[in-house]
Order: sequence, then C-alpha cells, then structure tokens
Amino acid sequence: MKGARRTDGPAWPERDTLQVLHHDTPRRSAKDKVRGAALYSHDRRVPGMLYGRLVSVPVPRAEFEVDLAPALAIDGVVAAVKLREGETQFLGQAVAAVAAETPELAEDGARAVKLTFRELPFAITPDQALAEGAPQVRRGGNHSKVRPKGDEAATEEALAASDAVIDVTYRVPVQHHVCLETHGVLCDYRGGDEATIYASTQMAFGIPGAAAEVLGLDEKNVRCIVEHMGGGFGSKFSLDTPGRAACLLAKQAGRPVQLLNTRTDEFRAAGNRSGSIRRVRAGANEDGKLTALRIECEKLGGIGRGAGGPRPYHYEPGASYFEERAIHTHTDSSRAMRAPGHPQAAFASESAIDELAYRVGVDLVAFRKANLSDPVWHRQLDRVAAEIGWHDHPHRSAPGRGDGWIAEGIGFAISAWGGGGHRGAEASVSIRPDGGVAAMIGIQDLGTGVRTLVAMIAAEELGLRAEDVEPRIGDTILPPGVGSGGSVTTGSISPPVKIASYNARKAFAEHLASILDCPSERVRFQARRVFDADTPGRGLTWEEACRTLPKTGIGGHGAWDAKLQGSGVHGAQAARVRVDLMTGRVRVLKMVCCQDSGLVLNPLTWRSQVNGAMIQGLGQALFEERVLDADLGLALNAGLGDYKIPGTEEIPELVALIDEEDTREFPIGVGEPPVIPGPAAIANAVHNACGARVRSLPITPDKVLAALAKLEKEG
Amino acid sequence: MHRFRLEFPKDVAAATSLLPSHRGPLTPRDARVLAGGQDLLGELKDHLVEPDTLVSLHRIPGLDGFELGEDLRLGALVTLAVIERDTALRERFTVLAEAAESVATPQIRTQATLGGNLCQRPRCWYYRNEEAPCIKKGGAECFAFGGRNKYNAILGGGPSYIVHPSDLAPALVCLDATVTKTAREGTETIALESFFTLPSEGSVQRENVLRANELLLGVHVPALGPGWKSTYLKFRERESFDFALAAVALAVRLDGERIAEAKLVLGGVAPIPWRARAAEDFVAGKPNTRSTWKAAADLALAGAEPLEHNAYKIPLTKGLIQKAFRKLA
Repeated sequence: MKGARRTDGPAWPERDTLQVLHHDTPRRSAKDKVRGAALYSHDRRVPGMLYGRLVSVPVPRAEFEVDLAPALAIDGVVAAVKLREGETQFLGQAVAAVAAETPELAEDGARAVKLTFRELPFAITPDQALAEGAPQVRRGGNHSKVRPKGDEAATEEALAASDAVIDVTYRVPVQHHVCLETHGVLCDYRGGDEATIYASTQMAFGIPGAAAEVLGLDEKNVRCIVEHMGGGFGSKFSLDTPGRAACLLAKQAGRPVQLLNTRTDEFRAAGNRSGSIRRVRAGANEDGKLTALRIECEKLGGIGRGAGGPRPYHYEPGASYFEERAIHTHTDSSRAMRAPGHPQAAFASESAIDELAYRVGVDLVAFRKANLSDPVWHRQLDRVAAEIGWHDHPHRSAPGRGDGWIAEGIGFAISAWGGGGHRGAEASVSIRPDGGVAAMIGIQDLGTGVRTLVAMIAAEELGLRAEDVEPRIGDTILPPGVGSGGSVTTGSISPPVKIASYNARKAFAEHLASILDCPSERVRFQARRVFDADTPGRGLTWEEACRTLPKTGIGGHGAWDAKLQGSGVHGAQAARVRVDLMTGRVRVLKMVCCQDSGLVLNPLTWRSQVNGAMIQGLGQALFEERVLDADLGLALNAGLGDYKIPGTEEIPELVALIDEEDTREFPIGVGEPPVIPGPAAIANAVHNACGARVRSLPITPDKVLAALAKLEKEG
Repeated sequence: MHRFRLEFPKDVAAATSLLPSHRGPLTPRDARVLAGGQDLLGELKDHLVEPDTLVSLHRIPGLDGFELGEDLRLGALVTLAVIERDTALRERFTVLAEAAESVATPQIRTQATLGGNLCQRPRCWYYRNEEAPCIKKGGAECFAFGGRNKYNAILGGGPSYIVHPSDLAPALVCLDATVTKTAREGTETIALESFFTLPSEGSVQRENVLRANELLLGVHVPALGPGWKSTYLKFRERESFDFALAAVALAVRLDGERIAEAKLVLGGVAPIPWRARAAEDFVAGKPNTRSTWKAAADLALAGAEPLEHNAYKIPLTKGLIQKAFRKLA
C-alpha cells in the first residue's frame, strides 16, 4: 500500500530522490563509543560526588528491621536511608541505601547496615505457588483469573476431526534484559532549588517529575541529561529504585550521589522477560490446513503480571480457543522487554506449526503460507527461504538425521508489530549566521541511532550533509521527546524534526527571497547551496546565505503529525544450524531476517538494529535462563559469568533484508519485531537437522542430548 | 571489603614465612598467595575469603621461568598466554597449548598463571554464593547434591560434588607432569596426579594436597617421546568463554592401524582431573577405529553416577572422547 502524499507542507520525498535519508549513514557517536570517550551516566563524575549502594535482605521473603547506625559509623559513609518498611517480596528487593566517598566504602557501608529479619515462607516456582497451602504472593491469590478467548466447543470438535493432532507443552524461562549499563542515575543535587539527573533511562522526560517529588523540588527546576545510555530493552522507563535511592541520599547529604545497580542487583531486581508455560493442542489436515488451535498459557511474571502476546500468533486455524492466566511467585516482577510476550508466544506457535507440518508431511514454508492470508508474510517467507538455501535443502518436509557426527537444519518463524509513533514530541531547528545548524529534541538515544537520524532529517530538508547538522538530544531543557518503548521512537520524533526543519527552511527561504530576487517558493536548498530554481547556475553557498542572517539566526519548530509516520510491520526469519550429535552443541550458522518497515530512514542503523535483535534472539534460544534454587531461595546465576549471553564465537552470519516491496512512504519503528522469531526459528532448525524436538528454552546441550537419546530409543 | 596487607616478598623463603603455619585447611582470614589474581580477586569481591594478608609472588625472581628442551619446565608464574603462544611447546605438548588457549578470554590469559590455574577454586554455584554455607565452606551440606547440579560431578563426587575447573590440570596429568611445592620445612616434588584430592580423601574444603604454608613453585613435564600426538577437547556451553562442561585430554601413540598406547584424562566431570586408566589399558593394541573409541568411552564413563540434572555429561563426555580419538587418528 502507498502512504498518503501531500502536495503542500512537509512530506517525505520520493525515496529515489533522497540525498541523505535512506542512505547508509554511520552513527555520530560510533568513534566516541569505540574509544571509550562517550559519557554514560556510569562514567559521569561531578565535584563532591558520593557513591551509592543498595541494601537488600538475603532471602526471598522476610519481615525485617533496618538499623543504619553501623553504616553511618564508618568513616567515609556520608548518608544512609531506608527505602522500605515491613516485608520484602523477593530476593534483591532493596530496603535501604548508603552513600560514601568511594565505591568501596559504599559497599562496606551497605554490608554494615544491620538487618534484623525473620524469614517468611516463600513460593518462587509455579509449583510452589500453586501448591496447597502455598504462601500468598498477591492479595488476589497466586494466580489470576483465566482469560478465555475463542470457541472451546468448536475447537474441540475440530481437533477430534483433524488428520493429525499434537498435544505438547512449551516452556520459556525468565530471561534478563542484560543492559550493559546497569540501572541508575547520578543525582547532581547540592542543596538549594535545582538538580540535574544524569540517568540511564529510556524516558528522559519522565525523570524530572519523579526526581523532583523525591527531592522536594519544583519539577521545572530538575533537569535530566541522557547523553548516552547503555541499553534498556523496556526495563528503564522510570526513576526506579536506584534512582529514587540516589535522590534520597543526595537530599540527605546535600551532595551529588551516583547510584547504579551492581550487576548482582541488576540480575535480581531490575526486571526481566516473563517466562511462560504453554500447553498446545493443535490439529491439521493432510491438505496442509491448520484445523484447530488450543493454547493454555501460564505467564510467569513473579510478583508482576507477565506478558502474554497475541492469540493466536498470526496463523489462522479453522477454530481456536485460548486460556491465559498469570501465576505469581516471590520473584522480581517482569517488565516490558523488547516485544513483551511475543517471543514466548512465537516459540510455542511456531514450534507447533512445525510439528504439524511434519505430521502431515508438507513443506515447512508451504504449510506456513497455506495458513497465513497476508501476502506480505508470503513474500517475506519466500525471500528468507531463498537466502537461507531452502530450495536446495534435503529436509523440507521430514527432518534429517545427520551423518552420525553432525547434522544441519533450517527453521522458520514469523512476527508482527506496530511500530507507529505517538503525539507529544516536538523539535526545533536553528540556523546560525556562521552556517551552523542545530536540530534539537530532548529524546534519549536508546542505542538505536536517534542522534544520527535527527541530523539526517534536518540535513535532507536543508540540502546539507548529515555531518553539517549538530543534533542535540538527551536533555529535558530541549523540546520534549517521548519514551522509547514499543518501537515508537522513530515514528514519534521523525515528524516533529521533519516539520521543524521544513519550517526553518521556509523561514530561511522567505529571508533569502529578497536577496536572490525571487519569490520564496522558488528558493531551493541543494548540495550545500541556495539558489533560485529558475537560475540554478547562480546563487549562494550555504555559508554565504547564512552570513546574511541576523545575529540570532533563523529557525523553525515542529510538533508531531500522524501523517508523517505509520504503523504495522511483518517479519520473517530463517535460521540454519549445525547440531553436533556427539555433544548436543547447537551452532547457529546463519540467520536471515526480512522485515518491512515503510521508508527506512537510515539503512545502516536499521540493519544494526535487526542484527542486534537476531543476536538477542539467539541468546534466548541457546543460553539465557534465570536459575534459582527453589528450596534455598538463592539466585544462582546472577552474574555475567554464569548467566550466559552470546559472545563473538556464537555470532552467526547475519543477513538483515529490507522488504523493498513495502512502498509505504513513511517511517515505522523496527526495534522490537526482529527479536521475536529467532528462538522459534532456531528450535525448528534443530529439529529439522536431526529430529530432536526441544520444547523448552534455552536449547542447551543437555536437552539436545536427551532429545536425541529419546529419538534413538523410539527408533 | 576486609582490609588486608599486600606483601611483596623478594624470595621464596620470605614468601613462605608469610604463609600460615598451621596444617589445616585455610580459614577465610588466612593469608593467600597472589599470582595473576584472576580467581582470588573474584573470591575477595564475592566475600568468599577475607584474608588479612595477600602474598604477591611478583617480585620473586625466577618463578616465571620457562625452559623448553626435550622436556618442559614451567614456573608457577608463567602466564597461560605464554604457554599458548609458544610454537615449539605447541608442537611437542599440543594438549597443554590447547588447554591453555581454551581458558577464559585472551585478556584473562595474559594475567592468569599456571600456578593459579592449578590451584583455582571450584565454580559450583553454591560454593560461589556467599549466602550458601556449603560443605566446601565449612558447612554441613553439599547443596548441589539435591539442588541445581547441571554443572556438577558425575565421577568421584561425595561428600562434595564440585568439578575441578582447571583446564591445564587434565592436560598436565595426561603428560605425566610433576609438581614442585615448598614450605619452610623443605621442597618436594610429586606427581601432579597425586597433587589433586577427592573430597572423600583429605579435606573436603580443599582440592589438592597443598598445605596452608606451602607454595607451588612450578611443574616439570617429561618429553612425550617419539610417535606421540596429543590434543585437548574442551566442551564449553558458550564457546566464546566458559568453563568446561566436560573436557578430554588425550595422548596417543599409533602403530600403523592400531593404537599402541594412549593416555586419557577427563576434565569438568569430577572433583579432580579424572584419569581413565581402564580405557587407556583397553585401547592399547586395539585397532584405531570408531568401535574401539566407543568402547573406550564407555569404559571411561562406566563408573559415572549422575545427579538429577547432569546425566547429559555421560553421553557428552563419551562423544568428546570419540572426537578426540578421531582428531588424532
């Protein structure tokens, strides 16, 4: 479909006329980040700064009392505050915080805080939570009401009439965000009426109000700066516990306090992607049609609700019925994480689709297409199938067995997402007499290349190169941004930056009309020159034109406009894996993602975003799982040595393909959708390689070996 | 962090005089020897040990000695990076070079030392968790036994079920290395194989015979002799950097189509480097074929007693053994 084009006012030009946008543009901060010169909140130091640490009770659940005096008795410990009274609900929940002259003294202080506690019974696994007489997690009970959807009777009838039926359970464990910069802030408050918060956040504009409340200041006197931030993935939308603690400590000390989670705190109490257990009963007929789908889903979000995801996951069964409920445990609450609920839903749905396709002996791609009506997925599946080498692959409707040592297989999965922006963001563009251009919007760069994008949009409009524009972002004294979650950033900030640039150009054209001796409509900005469209050979260089401006320069402002962005994307992925039949090792050789997202403003950062998502999906597929000891209530792998994420050796060949048949002439965000299909595609590829079906993530060697042994036993 | 004195003795005698004089297992406050610090600093930061004194070995001349003639002498302070990079060493003692390069990351290997690698403490989740008063730390129970034991021992376990985390240890045992240790009372050289102790022998709180007042000086590796080839296969769950789920140190001498002799030591599956003598004896003189390798693998794991979550280590280790034989075939 084609986006609505407008002849007056700002509009995205035809993509083949674009000079800056839609061209690979390296991110502005790349060199700084590689050299370590980019300043994150973690790196900030201000005069007189103290270092903060959180204190928690070492058991999942307890009645406790806190005595701060022993901490304050340590020379160099300057402030200490209580954060909570009464009971704790999960391991790592902060009850107090201290601030000291050095990080080491802060840790000493945190360990010196005297905790008097009585351990309370806890339930940290779903089984414990659902057991008779289980300790209560939430006032409403340890599970939510079942939310049914669909026609149960029709589904059961269709299942009974199906040629092939599966009844299996898929499990996804709790996954962590693993932000390389942990949660927290530097609260620069030295008494008085004002404060600046350097925050590792994905919503800079949410910080001043929250911090002002804790500090007892007027919100307008609190500024938030996010020059760079080291990952959020949905977990950094609020001031949060470390931020609140930093503000309380700063207020008490009258000195700046930096408090960022330790890595242990981060794993235990900074949120996670909820786990899930899905029992799937599904049927298909020999003609390759999905007849029935019944899914009973349990979401494992700790004290939180967990995320479910769409039901069904895009495939179109003849009849369907779904039940969903949350099971609550005494563990940290789940938070939004890159496409909340979707990877879990996709893992179950796509595995089930695969299992049924094999049952009825239909080509895995053909089976998917036969049960999806949207042609966008058809072409994307075809594209990734071609790129991964499906047509030359020997195992297209039955799994392979390998040569006794190794086996190779291919798997597929699809996704969908919104990705549209929303109102609230504004931008300003100013042009100075020295030729400098600043494009300003307070939005944080979550790591996706927003800073670069802001410069590119203004440069395109003004006939400049991206490097001619100075992007100013990540500061609440600038025009407002939005929270970066739900893949909304591009759709929310591109329109106001575009409109502000357009308005600045219009104003500049008005100013130049008399100088160029032509109507302002005829003033053109192109290749760092301005000229009368009727006499393109004459005119001024950009610098000459700018020198005619008044000292204050000239500029424009812009607000969000729905017409300059859009929503609704699809995606398909394929993975090729090699399974070592001797050791159960799964090595992903190649991943391919084809994704539509309208007009791709910067293909380089777009691909980077998609590649990163495939890597995160690979991590969820093969490595990541929070491990707790259910009896002792201990977190066993709360560190980067034991909680494994992919390293360089694990990264396969990654191919990120823009679906160029999507001709929508407006941008759509792409942050989330490419993280969805990876785990399912990899699990399906493992089965395709050797017949081992692993129905619980992560697909570790122990599970592969067990599945292979089962296969051998069954002959 | 508990405040400690950092001492820099100039010779071995001064170093041993700074070590505790008692003969029991080290207490958390006892002085610790600091070499590359790659394990010890983690233990300090995790509050597993809180010594009053750290004895650095870095100003003692000669401890980083590296002599490669027919045989090989390595001082305790030789780094893994040195072992990994020396091409002559790699050619003759391949299993050792491959073991060294399989450890952790390049950054760590430039700091980590031979002595530290052999004396490092276990990675068991419970041992490493300050809140778990496990048997390795003087408590009454091995929590891994009935808990999350995916990475724990299938051979030689009880009453503790740790696995020894060293990669150099299986390689050096495979090479019949000896180790020299010293105390105020004198210096002693023993077979490396007898350096490591099962938790059911000696103290459950330590992994080797080194006493609180003893210092490991270095190892001696005899020449393998003509016709020998060796390799180290380490299975890491995450290949980029990880400890072994299982590892195989294998040396073989082939005689035409037959295996004349073999030495086989397993890592990552037992509290000590696990020498599989029954398998070694079995393959001697047998045809160098997959069925021999498979039978040897079965023999090597015959005594395995898996816990709830680690039975996979049996087929995994058997698979690795076969792959190692295949690699040297």
